[in-house]
Amino acid sequence: MAFEIAKNFSGPSVEPGRSAGEAMTSANLAEPLGRVVATERRPNTPHEFHFWTALDSPVGIGTIVRVDSAHPIGGQLVHVYGIVVEGLSYTDLQSPLHDVMAHDAMPASASHAATERAEVRLYTAAVLRQVPEEPLQPVPMGAVFLADEADVAVALRMDGYLRPGARTGIPVGVYHAGGTNAPIYLDADFLIGPEAAHLNISGVSGLATKTSAIEWILSSIFAHFPESKGSVAAVCFNVKGPDLCFLDQPGPIDAADAALYEQCSVSPGPFEHVQYFAPFKADGFSLNTLRSNEALLHNVSSLTWGLREVLQYAEVLLNKDDVDAKADALIDFIRDRVVDHEFRDDQLLGQKRYMVRSFADLEAWFRDVLAAIEAKPGEGYWRTHHVATIRKVRNRLSNISTRCAGLVTDDGAVSDLPFGEFKDRTVYVIDVAALEEDAQDLIFARVVTKLREHLEKRELGVNHVVVFVDELNKYAPGDGPETYVKKMLLDLAERGRYLGLVLFSAQQFRSQVHRRVVGNSGTAVYGRMDADELATPGYAVLSQAVKTKLSTLEKGQLMVRHPHFTQPIFVRFPRPAILRGRDGAEMYPQAADVGLDAAVLRGLRSLDPSLTLGAVQDAIGIHEAEDVIRARNATLRERPANVLAFFRAQLRPIVGSRPVVQPGPPPVRAPSGPSPYDF
Amino acid sequence: MGADLSFAGVDRWLWEAAPELGPRSVGGDQPSLEVVPTQRELPRMTDAAVIEGRAVLAHPVAAASTPAFGGFLDGTQTSRVIREADGIPIVHGTVAAAVRQRVDRRLITWRHEVRQRLYAPRGLLSPQWNALLDRAGLSVVDTSRGEGDPIAHPYAVRDAASHRVQEDREAVERSLAEAWCASMVEPLLLDGGTSGSESLASAAQLVGVVKSHRTLYVSGAGLAAVRGLRAGERSSVFRIASRHRAAVASWYLRLRGPNAADWMWGLVRVEVADLPDLSQAVLAERADRISGWLLSERAPLSLPDARWDRMTYGIRDCEEFLRAVS
Repeated sequence: MAFEIAKNFSGPSVEPGRSAGEAMTSANLAEPLGRVVATERRPNTPHEFHFWTALDSPVGIGTIVRVDSAHPIGGQLVHVYGIVVEGLSYTDLQSPLHDVMAHDAMPASASHAATERAEVRLYTAAVLRQVPEEPLQPVPMGAVFLADEADVAVALRMDGYLRPGARTGIPVGVYHAGGTNAPIYLDADFLIGPEAAHLNISGVSGLATKTSAIEWILSSIFAHFPESKGSVAAVCFNVKGPDLCFLDQPGPIDAADAALYEQCSVSPGPFEHVQYFAPFKADGFSLNTLRSNEALLHNVSSLTWGLREVLQYAEVLLNKDDVDAKADALIDFIRDRVVDHEFRDDQLLGQKRYMVRSFADLEAWFRDVLAAIEAKPGEGYWRTHHVATIRKVRNRLSNISTRCAGLVTDDGAVSDLPFGEFKDRTVYVIDVAALEEDAQDLIFARVVTKLREHLEKRELGVNHVVVFVDELNKYAPGDGPETYVKKMLLDLAERGRYLGLVLFSAQQFRSQVHRRVVGNSGTAVYGRMDADELATPGYAVLSQAVKTKLSTLEKGQLMVRHPHFTQPIFVRFPRPAILRGRDGAEMYPQAADVGLDAAVLRGLRSLDPSLTLGAVQDAIGIHEAEDVIRARNATLRERPANVLAFFRAQLRPIVGSRPVVQPGPPPVRAPSGPSPYDF
Repeated sequence: MGADLSFAGVDRWLWEAAPELGPRSVGGDQPSLEVVPTQRELPRMTDAAVIEGRAVLAHPVAAASTPAFGGFLDGTQTSRVIREADGIPIVHGTVAAAVRQRVDRRLITWRHEVRQRLYAPRGLLSPQWNALLDRAGLSVVDTSRGEGDPIAHPYAVRDAASHRVQEDREAVERSLAEAWCASMVEPLLLDGGTSGSESLASAAQLVGVVKSHRTLYVSGAGLAAVRGLRAGERSSVFRIASRHRAAVASWYLRLRGPNAADWMWGLVRVEVADLPDLSQAVLAERADRISGWLLSERAPLSLPDARWDRMTYGIRDCEEFLRAVS
């Protein structure tokens, strides 16, 4: 039977007065928003495809789409998920000159043209996933749909770790495109370990994105880290200003941020359990932190170390230019044989016994040793150590207490992090912002080493610790000398995940950080990036459009790379419901430097708020400052029930004064007899 | 056969259905009959009755500030010899037409139609070929019908087929134009004349624009006036009427130019309904208004089309659309 085919169409399907984009944003996700196209010049591949859309479609760089193939492969329709990485727009204009001619070289008249040229929006998408995954074929022609929440989960392989009963997802933000708002989850096994671990964030300074993102992600971890995987705590190094000084104080958020919190199932609010640690200033009694306001001192502890704690990490402070193999041997000798041991050397020092526990003890020991050696002219050696080496080591070690004044105490008093008693979902902040570089390095090296040692023995108190280090390019630069801190960071990045020791790091320029540190970060997060940084080879895998988007990211937006995601994903995260450092510094101004008695009162009041200045002054009396500080430190360390009594007891007793009897001149021998001349 | 009525699809079906009747065609690689030189309409000049004033004069026109055309209509045709049945060409023809509607300064498809047919002089074909064509699954137009004794010369058969394809194309265009006029109130710009159909010739919304000038409707002083038109000027209105075509009002309008080497460059002829009993003033005002609409369509340019000097962008857009779908 003969027939003729006539394809009749009656115009666009979009309702009058309603654009295609509006139709899409009103959650009509069942409508295709584009069609896959391929030409010989621009073919599709298994990892990339092209599609066009309506001019007002909600597609943009970073949008996740789904392609439904029209023809089954092996009896199954193929679904391809992709993320838009490039966009092109062009018209049928063959030469710009034609447009100039059409409007007589007058741009103003162009707006009066009766008709706009046919325009194409052509997008390139990188394949996130194909279902089924085999056979892996070039992306087929088909309709393109905006991915809904379920599509996003499949596209990013999140379905594998969001299964009921085996859920290990940690929300990192919300993906938004068109009518889709989908929480994006990181896999705890790949964020905290053991499969992969570590997180690195890059971004320009000044937007507070990096700090905010870390605070948000830590909140999310604390809210969602599965109980089956154990406990988790965080140790944060506050390296600049008041950034992390108010993590326990609430900050305002707007409705949009509250919605993001709700979508991610995280309660908006500050961290419930935060403990602050800060060394003293050089005076030895004023805390060297911007969180010194009396109203916030209840969870601020001093961080002071003595000789024993420091000597173990002497390598951090004594670089190889200072300490050669000979000096190193002497330091080892002192560490192994002198410190915390009863030391005697009958040949050199006679019967004198030494118990070196502080820098003051060590100085006394050095003084005696050198004096004894010098008293024996011609020898110049003691136990194979040359006197010059001994002098050099004495000089360098004695200098530590000066360079790290406030952190390192001469008297050996120790106030440390609660290693062994770490609490689940607790943040431990160590404020090193105001310290010299040496002291910062020392703190970092010792804290991380202690964390590792305790985690190795499974006796830290928690199973996992997230260590947050800002300004990573300073501590683990890509070039420069091999410092102890850099080696430690490399070790942490490469082996920490087996122990549950996780590095969250941040820096402005990722390209300036050691490759092995950032390379071992399973998760990489990017805020707004500097264009020069994006021009470095490390970003060559990103398309120009993605780079441009990265360089113009708004505050609160991140690009996330994660082992499960084959392409970077853009997400929004809420502003943390935490008092920002700058606002906190205004609300809780730093306490002014005060005298010794007031400083002691400030410290002891954190244990007993009823203490008065008069009572403290009475207790201090005429005691020497060193004695008072030692007593104060002991009190803070022991946290006794009766604070004032304990403090008094720590002060060395002062011997009562007695009138000095001036002996007179020796008397002339008295006459033995009555006669003065009776000799 | 299946639903694939394209040249390749029909060619494949013919070969599979009757391989003994010959090899497959190579016609798909050959130019269509529309670009093969054939006997064309001879150039001629004829004087039309001037209905605006007494002589053909130049009238300056101002471009309209707002676009008036609501849509653009154009059609295309492609025909190729798909088989020679015992030396008689069988032609596969595709005709298409589309109305592109202007919405918010953008063009979208209001309606379009594509038809594929075979064209053959059934009376000259063997019973075996006729039987095969009956089974072909698409309409077969008998080009020998009503033409007297068919001539077996292949060129004559091809010309007859081309003529029928053209008729089909005009029919599709007419169908769409009538549909527009029946349901829309905005003016429709039609590529070509409107006098081929009584219904189109009398439709008030229809404006035909003729780009070719093989027939000139002016001579002598009138021709000189038309030749001397400057950009943005129109001629006086005249009436075109013949025994075979419906009467329409028409005038020349220079969109661009003039070009020193070709006075027809940038020149179009406009055809509209010849409304009765119009006063001279109304007639002139109507011609000015429609000419103004056309002048406002000069941008964007229709480049790279070779006829860009006379082709509005809406018509080029129709052609691009039809190229994509037919």
